Amino acid sequence: MLIEGNDLSRMADDRKTEFRAKDMGFVFQTYNLLPVLTAVENIELPLIVSGTKPKVAREQALASLTRVGLLDKAGQRPSQLSGGQRQRVTVARALVNKPAIVWADEPTGALDSTTATEIMDLIVDLNSTAHQTCVIVTHDPKVAARCHRTIHMEDGLIVRQNSQAEMLAIAAGH
Amino acid sequence: MNELFGLSMTYIAIGCVAVTAAILAFVAFIAVRNPVMFKMGLRNIPRRKAQTALIVVGLMLSTLIMSAAFGTGDTLTSSVTSEVYTILGRADEIITWDTDKEAKPVDEQTIPLATVEMLRAEFVNDSDIQAFVPFLSETLSLQNQRTRLNEASPRIVAFRTDDAKALGGLRDRDGKEVSLSGNEMAVNAELAKAIDARIGDTIFAFYQGNPVEFTVKAIVPNTLLGGTFSSGDRKGAAIDFSVLAKLTGKADRAESVFVSNRGGVKSGMERSDAAKAKLDLALAGTPYKVETFKQDRIRLAELVGNAFTTIFIVFGLFSIAAGVLLIFLIFVMLAAERKPEMGMARAVGAKRRQLVESFLAEGMGYDLGAAVVGLVAGMGVTLAMIQVIKSAAGENLGLNLSVTFTPRSMIVAFCLGVIATFLVVFISSWRASRLNITSAIRDLPETKPFNPEAATWMGYLRAGLNGMVALALPVGVSLLLLGTAGLVLGVPLILIGLVSPWVYMLRGSNVALARAVRHESEGPPKWPWILGLCLPVIGWLLILPWYFLALLLVVIVRDRQPASLAKWMPAAGIVAPPFGLVLVLLQNARARIAWSAGIAFAFGVAGGVLTFAGLERNSAFFFFLGVSLLFLWVAVTLRYFGQNERASFTITSALLLVLWYLPSKVYKPIFGELNGDIEMFFLSGMVMVTCGVFIIVYNADIVLPLIARLGSRFGRILPALKTGVAYPLTARFRTGMTMLMIGLIMFSLVMMATLNTNFAQAFLNNDTKGGFDELLLVNDNNPIGNITDTIGQSGTDTKPIRASAELRIAYSFEAEVENKDKKTKDGKVPAFSRYTIFGADEGFFAATAIPIKFRAAGYASDRAVWDALANDARLAVIPASLIAPRNHFGGPGSDVLRLNPLEEDFVPFTLELRDPGAGTASTVTVIGVMKETGDTFLSLGDRNSNGTGGLVTSKKTLLDTYPAARGQRFYLALKPGTNAGEYAKNVESGLVQVSAESLQTLLDDQQALQSGFLLVFQGFMGLGLIVGIAALAVVASRAVVERRQQIGMLRAIGYQRGMVALSFLFESGFIALSGILLGLGLGLSLAWVLFTQGEIGTGSEGADFIVPWLNLAVICAIAFGASMLMTYLPARSASRVPVAEALRYE
Repeated sequence: MLIEGNDLSRMADDRKTEFRAKDMGFVFQTYNLLPVLTAVENIELPLIVSGTKPKVAREQALASLTRVGLLDKAGQRPSQLSGGQRQRVTVARALVNKPAIVWADEPTGALDSTTATEIMDLIVDLNSTAHQTCVIVTHDPKVAARCHRTIHMEDGLIVRQNSQAEMLAIAAGH
Repeated sequence: MNELFGLSMTYIAIGCVAVTAAILAFVAFIAVRNPVMFKMGLRNIPRRKAQTALIVVGLMLSTLIMSAAFGTGDTLTSSVTSEVYTILGRADEIITWDTDKEAKPVDEQTIPLATVEMLRAEFVNDSDIQAFVPFLSETLSLQNQRTRLNEASPRIVAFRTDDAKALGGLRDRDGKEVSLSGNEMAVNAELAKAIDARIGDTIFAFYQGNPVEFTVKAIVPNTLLGGTFSSGDRKGAAIDFSVLAKLTGKADRAESVFVSNRGGVKSGMERSDAAKAKLDLALAGTPYKVETFKQDRIRLAELVGNAFTTIFIVFGLFSIAAGVLLIFLIFVMLAAERKPEMGMARAVGAKRRQLVESFLAEGMGYDLGAAVVGLVAGMGVTLAMIQVIKSAAGENLGLNLSVTFTPRSMIVAFCLGVIATFLVVFISSWRASRLNITSAIRDLPETKPFNPEAATWMGYLRAGLNGMVALALPVGVSLLLLGTAGLVLGVPLILIGLVSPWVYMLRGSNVALARAVRHESEGPPKWPWILGLCLPVIGWLLILPWYFLALLLVVIVRDRQPASLAKWMPAAGIVAPPFGLVLVLLQNARARIAWSAGIAFAFGVAGGVLTFAGLERNSAFFFFLGVSLLFLWVAVTLRYFGQNERASFTITSALLLVLWYLPSKVYKPIFGELNGDIEMFFLSGMVMVTCGVFIIVYNADIVLPLIARLGSRFGRILPALKTGVAYPLTARFRTGMTMLMIGLIMFSLVMMATLNTNFAQAFLNNDTKGGFDELLLVNDNNPIGNITDTIGQSGTDTKPIRASAELRIAYSFEAEVENKDKKTKDGKVPAFSRYTIFGADEGFFAATAIPIKFRAAGYASDRAVWDALANDARLAVIPASLIAPRNHFGGPGSDVLRLNPLEEDFVPFTLELRDPGAGTASTVTVIGVMKETGDTFLSLGDRNSNGTGGLVTSKKTLLDTYPAARGQRFYLALKPGTNAGEYAKNVESGLVQVSAESLQTLLDDQQALQSGFLLVFQGFMGLGLIVGIAALAVVASRAVVERRQQIGMLRAIGYQRGMVALSFLFESGFIALSGILLGLGLGLSLAWVLFTQGEIGTGSEGADFIVPWLNLAVICAIAFGASMLMTYLPARSASRVPVAEALRYE
C-alpha cells in the first residue's frame, strides 16, 4: 500500500508508528479517548508524541478544539462530555497534526441520528474548507452518501464503487 | 512452643482445625449443591497461568509469615529444652538454703549429709521421688600442666559415686562408667577443648591461691555431673565429693541436693509438682527450700520460644495486613475482569449467592494452593533466619540451634492462612456480587442507585442506625472497656450484634418479602444452620440460636412493615439499640442506606468509647485507636453531607498525622500518662501510612503540572510520563491500596532500621568502655589484692597500664536493695528487690569516664559526681535502666524499685542495701544516674549479669554490707599504642585466676550480634515487600487487559512500542516510589520524634539522631528495583499489543 509515495508494507514498526503520528489521523466509533486526560490533553498527545514542544502542542490543540467548536470544554475529561462532544474531540485529535488522511472507522456508529449528522457535517466541512482527505468506514448508506466516492467491500474484497450521486440515490431509496 | 498471646497452642490448633474443616465442608457443600457454579469458579484458575501464579504468591504471604514465626519459636523452644534435658538429665528438683527462712552467710548455707539421709529414709518408697543426690560446687581456676593453658573460672562439681548413679552415673563420651577417687578429675568436653586436656594430664586447681594437683581420668559430656549447669556456662569438671569437701572446709555437708523423680528424663519432670508439694511438707521447719528447677527451665525455654514467635508475629503484622489488602485487591480486580461474565450469569438467572459461591470456589482453589506453598516457603525462611542468627551470634549465643517444626504449629499456620484468605475472599466476593446486570454486561462503570435521602439528616440517621445495628458486636465489645456502665450498655449491643448479621442477610431474601411478592415455595436459606451444625460448640452457641432468632423476627415483621418511619425514630433507635433492631426489621427492604456513613458512624461511637477507655486506663493503644476512628468518622461524615471530599480527607488525615507526631510531653498535661507497648508500632504504622496515602491520592494531581514541566525537558518521554501518572490518580482505590501495602512495609523497615541504629549508637558506643581498655574477671575463690603488682609478679610488663580500677560485686542472687524513701507515684514499693551492687575502689572513681545522665543538685559536672563518690563511701549512682518509665511506645521500664523518673538537679535520695544471708544493711545516697552506656559497661563480658548494670557505690560500703560477696573484676586503661587484645592474652596466660578480654573486642561482638538480629528482623519484615510488588504486578497485568483498546489507540496516534512500555513502567514506578517515599518519610520522621523526645526509653532523649542512609538506600533500591522488575513483563506485553486487533470493537 502506497501513501504519499511511502510503501507501508516495507516500513519497520517504529517508522510506521512515526508515520501514523505525523501523517495520519484516526477517528473511532468508540472515541478511544484516554479517560484520565482532559479534552485538550487528549488532543495534544499525538503532537507531543511526535516531538512538538509542549507549549506549541497546547496552542495547536486549542486551535483544533476551536475548529470543532469545543474550546469551552478544553479542561473537561471524556466522562464529563456527551457522545457527540467526545467524537468532536476525537476529530480534533485526528486533525491536530494536519494529517494527509483521516481514517474514520464508523465515526457515527455510537451516536444518535442528530448527533451523527452533526459529526458528518463537521467532517464534510473540514473536507471542503480545509481540504482534508478523509476515509470513512461505515455501514450507513446515509453517511456513505456524503462522501465523494464509495468503495464497497465484502469479506475483505472490493466488490464495487459508487459516486456520490449514485450513493445519494441509493440512500434516498432506503 | 505452647502458647501464643497467652492462649494454649493446643486450643488454638483445635479451633483452627475446626474452622478450616467447616470452611472446607462449606465449600464441598457448594460443590455438591451447585456443581455448575462451582466448576465455573474452579475453571477460571488455569485460564491465566501467570496471573494464577501471581495470585498464589500474593496469597501465600500470611501463611509464610505465620509458619516462619512459628518455626522460629519451635526451633528456639526445642533447642533450649533439648539442651536442658541433656544437661540436667534425671535431676528434677533442687533443695537449697532459704535465706528468707534463716539468714546465714553464703559459706554457711549448707545441708548436712545426715539431713539428706533422713529425707531418703522418709521417701524410700515414694511414688514420685526416687533419689536425693547431695553435691558440692565451686569455681576453681585450672591450669593444664602439659599445655600450660588456663581456665579462670570453670565449675567444679563433686558427687559421691553411688549418689551419682541415681542420675545415671558419671560416664565418659563412650558411655563407660567413670568412678572418681582421690585426686582424679573428669573434665567435660568444653573445658577439655579450652585447655586441650587429655586423659592422664596433670591439672592444677587453685583455691585461695594454693594449687591442688589432679589427674585427668576421663573426658565426659557437658552435663550436670560433668560440671555444666547451663548452656551459657558449660566449662566444668567433676572430682570426688570428699576431696572438694575437704578443700572448701565443708566436711560432711552438701551445698545443695538434687532430687530425681521416678520415670525418665522427661516423664520424671511431670511429677515435679507432686514431688515439690511432698518436699515442702517435709522441709517445713527447716531452713531449706525446694525448687522445681528443671520444670522452671523448660518453662523459661517455652517462654523464650513463645516470646520470639510473638515478636515475629507482631513484626509480621505489617506484612499480614499488606497481604490481606492484596487478597482483597486481587479479588476486587478479578471481579472487575469477570464483570461481563457475571452480568451474563445474573441475566440468565444466577442469584447473587451463586456468584459468591462461584467466586468462593475459585478463591478456595487459590487459597489451598497458597497455604501449602506458604507453609513450605515459611519453613525455608525459618531455615534461613536460623542460619543467619547462628552465624551472627557465633559463640555468644551459647546454644546449639537445630531447626525444628512441630506438626501442631505448622497445622495452625496452615489453617490461619486458609481462614484469613477465606474471610477476605468471602467479603470481596459478596462485594463483587452486588452488580448492576446491564452495566456489567456492557462493562460500563457501576451506576450509583438514586438515594432520595442522600445528604439529608434523615438519611444520615438511617445510616447511623443501620451502622450501629450491623456493627453492634464490635461496638458492644468496645463498651465493655468502660467497666460496669459499659457492661450494662455493651451486653445488649453484643446480643444484638449476634442477631443483626443474620437479619441483614435475610433482609434481601425471599423469606423477608411481604406476602404479595413472596414465593411460598421457596424457604429460608439453609446454609447457616448447616454451617452452625457442622461447627461444634462455636456453631451451636454462636450461630444456630441467633440465626433462628433472626429468622423468627423477620417472619414476624415481614407482613407488618409500615410505609414509612417517623423522622425521630432512627435517632431513638441509635440511642436505644434494642429499639434500633426493631426499626431495622421494620424499615422498607428497598430503602437506600448510605453504608459508608453508617459504618463510619458506628466506628465513631466505638472511637469515642475507646478514647475514653484509653484515658481512663492510661492506655495509649485504646486512646490513639479511638481518636483515629473519630477522625475517620469526621472525614466520612463531611463527605456524606456534600463537603469537598479532597478537603475533608486531606485535612482530617493531616490533623491525625500531627496528633501522632506529638511527643508525649505535649499531650501529657492534657490527656495524662498514656502507656503503650510494641502494639503501638503496628498501630502507628497503619494509621499514619493510611493518612499519608489519603493525602497523596487526593492531592497528587497538584504535582502533575510540575511533573509535566520536568518531563518536557526530556522531550519524548513526556507523553509516557503524563499517562503514567494520570492513570494511577484516576484509579484511586487500586493506587491507594497498592501504595498502602508498599508504604506499610517500608514504614516498618525504616522504623526498625533507624531505631536500631540509633539505639546501637546510644548503648554501644565508645562510652561503653567507660574510659578503660581491658576487662579482667577474677575467680571467686582466688581474689587478687593489687592487680598491677600481681600482673607484674606474673612476668607481664606493667608499663602499658595507665590506670587500673577494681569493682567488687554482690550479684542479684546474694544482694537486695530497698527504695527506702518510697518516692513513687503511688507510694507502693516492693519490700526488697534482688539487685546487683558494685563496689568501686578509688582507682575506678578516678579513671572512669562513664557519662552521667542526670546529676543531683549541687554537682556541676560528671567528674564532680565521681569525685564525690570517691570521697564519701555512702554515696551511690544508679544505672539509667532503673528509672526507665514505661511510656506510650513501650520503653523497657523497670519494676525493681519503682523509682520516679528523675531529672537534672534532682534531690538526692536514699536506698537501703541489705545482705539477705548475713542480715547486714547500710544506707546509700543516690547522687547521679549513669547514661545507658553505663548499663552496657557494667554487664559487658560478665555472664553472671543479666544484661543490666547495677548500683555503684564504694568498695568499702559493699564489703561492709555484703561481707561474703566474692565477685571481683578489674579494669585497665592502657597507654596509647598498646594492643589491648594482645595485652589481654598476656595477662591471661600469666594469671591462672583471671579471664581477660579487650573491651573493644567485647563491644565489637555485641555490635555484630545486634547487626545479625537486625538483619534477621529486616529480612523477615522485608518479606512483606513481596506483597507490595506482587500487587503492582497484578495491577499492571490487569491494566494491560483493561486498556487494550486504549493501548491500540495510543499506538495508532504515534506511541512507539517503547513509549507504551515506558508509560506502564512510569505508572508502577509512580505508585512504588510514592509508597516507598511515604514509608521512608513517615518512618524516619516518627523515629526521629520518638528517639529525640525520649519516647522509647529515656536513653534517647536529647541524643543525636542518626539516619542509616546506606541501609535505607539499600532497602529503597531493593523495593524499587524489584517493583520495576515485576512490572517489566506486563509493560512488555502492553507494548506488544497488535494495533489493529486492539482497536477492534468487542
